[in-house]
Amino acid sequence: MQQHTHKATLQLANKNCSQTIPAKSKNILHALTSAALVLPGLLMPSPAQAAPGDRINFQYGRYEEGTRNLYGVPSKYNPISADVLHGSGTFSLTDRTKFSFGYTQDTWSGATPITTTPLATDGGNRPLTVNQVVVGASPLINSNVLLDRNLDPIGRDPLTKQSTGIVDPRSVHVMSSASPETRRQASFGLSHEWNEAAIHVSGGFSREKDYKSSFGSIGGRLDFNQKLTTVKFSGGYTSSDIGAILDHDSLPYITKTAYQDQIVRKGGAAGSDVLQGNRHDWVANLGVTQILSKNSLLDASIGYTHSNGFMENPYKAMSIIFVDPDDLNNQQTRFINGQVRALIEQRPDIRNQVALNTKYIHHINPFNTALHLGYRLSVDDWGVNTHTFDASWVQPLGNDWTLTPRIRYYSQDTANFYSDYLFSRQAFSKPLVDAQGRQVFIDRNNPNVQYFSSDGFSFFDQNGNLVDDAIAQAARPQFVTYDAGLLPKNFSSDHRLAGFGALSGGFTLTKRLWKGVDLETGFEYYTRASSMQIGSGGSSFADFDYYVANAAIKLDMERIDIPGSPLALPHSKSHASDHALHKTPPAGIMFGHMLDNKGDFMVGYRFMLNKTNGQMQQGTHAVIDQAIIDQGCSDTIPCRFTPTHMNMHMHMIDIMYAPTKWLNVMLMPTFMDMNMNLRNLFKLDGTTPAAPPGSHSHSGIGGHETGAIGDTYLSALVKLFQIPSHRAHINIGFSAPTGKVDIEQRRAHRIDPGLIHFGMQLGSGTWDFMSSLTYTGEKKRLSWGAQIGGTKRMEEKNKSGYRLGDLFQASAWGGIDLVPWLTASARGIYTWQGAIQRDFDAPSSRIGPMDFPQNYGGQFWDVGFGLNATIPRGRFAGNRFGFEWIQPVSNDFNGFQLDRKGSLAATWNYQF
Amino acid sequence: MKTYLPRKLLLITICIELMGCVNVSPWERGNLAKPSMEVDPNPLQSEFQSHNYSSREAAPSHKSSSGGGGCGCY
Repeated sequence: MQQHTHKATLQLANKNCSQTIPAKSKNILHALTSAALVLPGLLMPSPAQAAPGDRINFQYGRYEEGTRNLYGVPSKYNPISADVLHGSGTFSLTDRTKFSFGYTQDTWSGATPITTTPLATDGGNRPLTVNQVVVGASPLINSNVLLDRNLDPIGRDPLTKQSTGIVDPRSVHVMSSASPETRRQASFGLSHEWNEAAIHVSGGFSREKDYKSSFGSIGGRLDFNQKLTTVKFSGGYTSSDIGAILDHDSLPYITKTAYQDQIVRKGGAAGSDVLQGNRHDWVANLGVTQILSKNSLLDASIGYTHSNGFMENPYKAMSIIFVDPDDLNNQQTRFINGQVRALIEQRPDIRNQVALNTKYIHHINPFNTALHLGYRLSVDDWGVNTHTFDASWVQPLGNDWTLTPRIRYYSQDTANFYSDYLFSRQAFSKPLVDAQGRQVFIDRNNPNVQYFSSDGFSFFDQNGNLVDDAIAQAARPQFVTYDAGLLPKNFSSDHRLAGFGALSGGFTLTKRLWKGVDLETGFEYYTRASSMQIGSGGSSFADFDYYVANAAIKLDMERIDIPGSPLALPHSKSHASDHALHKTPPAGIMFGHMLDNKGDFMVGYRFMLNKTNGQMQQGTHAVIDQAIIDQGCSDTIPCRFTPTHMNMHMHMIDIMYAPTKWLNVMLMPTFMDMNMNLRNLFKLDGTTPAAPPGSHSHSGIGGHETGAIGDTYLSALVKLFQIPSHRAHINIGFSAPTGKVDIEQRRAHRIDPGLIHFGMQLGSGTWDFMSSLTYTGEKKRLSWGAQIGGTKRMEEKNKSGYRLGDLFQASAWGGIDLVPWLTASARGIYTWQGAIQRDFDAPSSRIGPMDFPQNYGGQFWDVGFGLNATIPRGRFAGNRFGFEWIQPVSNDFNGFQLDRKGSLAATWNYQF
Repeated sequence: MKTYLPRKLLLITICIELMGCVNVSPWERGNLAKPSMEVDPNPLQSEFQSHNYSSREAAPSHKSSSGGGGCGCY
């Protein structure tokens, strides 16, 4: 930044000089200018290198797709959406060595294509009708289609499924929906720099319920030619294990013969079939960045990726239309029946990709703008060749605003094994016939025993003896399924492997709030169309669009410390030393401390984990299943399931500002994610309670996950008094209902389970009043404090019809400094929370105690053990960290609830 | 587009050929040192976009050298 300022000033000076200053002065000025510029010029990082500086970024983004074209059939599923939370940071370990980390968490849910079929089938997106009104569609992947003798489908009305009698070549996605799922990715890196070279190593892992990968990479750069040329190289390896939990709902309908050896049963009878595989990806990149002139540079690289192993998307099926050759050969009929069956897709086990990237960057002086032009070509041995063109215009606007509009065009060719659907001229399954033309039967009670019959009346055994009529009763026809050898080796109808073009555009807007604190927001709209593919263009059934929006806060820790920055005003002299004197409360205490001086600013991150698992409790003691079945739900509905665990993770960003010495304002956006699983309840006789008709069932090892933005807290903290050793303040705040309370589970077993359990919803759904009174004291190595506070729901009910219980909490703590910068604390906590009021006003699963309002809240006594660290000096001075483990001591639950196992609170904050 | 592309490639090739000839003195690199002239001026944005593209397109991921990315099975 310093460099930048110098140059801007001098450019301005130069411009003025050229008009008015005499030659001699000009020379002097020129010499000074040059001298001043030599330093930043030589210190300038090579263009390929990331900007230096210790930094922390937080980002939240949302991806949302538009609806897919189902030709008039209304989809009752919301399109796919994803909520993404990202945090990353870089810290200098020495002047030349940096450590970096990144964490990304995304939760997605919504409707996704499971396969593609002709629109003309009698299944597909099968309309659901209520009172003769079509309210949605459910996926029916096994169906029939009427074909003419050229195998062209004879159309059906998508809504009524009545035949239209004319050929309809259109295809359609069959949409299925998914309950929310979360992926977490963490990565770490280490880099070291020399004057004209750098090296970095990084590694990390990504975890999903069904996909786990670990990765590592090494790379570096070499500067030549006075840093006019930079050569970059990197290599990486990713290993992934797939354990796709095959949907218990669609499982019976998907043909997975090809993967029989890879499917294992997990979790016993009530568990799931899991399709296992693994995959390896190696990647190598070599690139060069070349400065072309004082206003332009070129960046070019070539990358090679080799992948092998399981590259299928295990949730995508190929629709194969089986046509019986007997029907084809029968010239009597005008139409032929095609049997549509869905087979898990099969992709090649090897893929090699080569990508060529070029980017040209030009500075346009009159506008002080940087124009970025990029082109990318990739080719691979699946036949997917792609072209990407993109252009962006980085425009500083003054007042520390920067606007970057961007446009991108992408086109890809069709993979050579892609089809919307396939035909196979064989029956999917037909009766087995032996060499003598007799139909083969097997014994219903003993599948190893075969019988043969040529007329269907008299049966012969394997030795040719006539079988007794009584025994023949047990004979049933033996069927032979299709010959997989007659199918192509590889096939997929995943629309991402189809040919298409995509146009997208958007902008990035950044604003420097203070030196070192940047806000950034980005928006992009993307539209995909088969007609936009370069050189061809297929049918439009798979076209869709999406938009993404995100916002980020970026902290540059080095810039903050620059002397002369507005944040280094006189009050900041007291920073590290002064704050080190004030003890902060244990990490689990919220709204527990105030900033001291007008203009102070604090940014922090708070993580809370809440674990429940183990035995179900009622009041103060554990209960057996029979009690839950009888009393846990309602008089009319017995409980059939109970949670085995539920974990809640909360991520909060704390932003705190002191407009005056006695008032602080706080904004705390939160991001929640939760996971749980259920088990069957067993009666005393060992059986499970019968399911009422139409009720949701739960099975499998998958469990449920939710995650997205939670509620947002807005607060004002008012100082009541501050005398040596004693301080007190009150917090008056609100919680805004930004968290969702209408998350639904996906349709399963032909039943819509409706809204997911209360505890898995992400917010309260109501505007809540939050208030607390905090007192803290300290003397020498000792510190102590107390806080009472509560939450009062200010609305009768939220949009789903219920209201969470009010909350009251009191706690008191004492701490001792182990060393001047490290404090250990112990805390006692009492919490009271009311039960949920009212109930969902829309259908919910109602299968276990977690679905009933009376089973929430209670009184809880906990102890907390914490550590607080304030880094007093050195590179990380002013950073504060806190950890606290909260251990339940005694519980008195309302109704039936899972046992509490404790909470963890971890905080980091940095005060400017 | 098709006629334009070879010309652009030719231009790029010429530029690369000329690499040895350019000489930009350190004190002339003011513009090049601006944040807007970084090869990736908005890394948070490009990471986010690239993740979306790689879950919707078949091209190799821009970020594939850094690994990760998960299944994208939707």
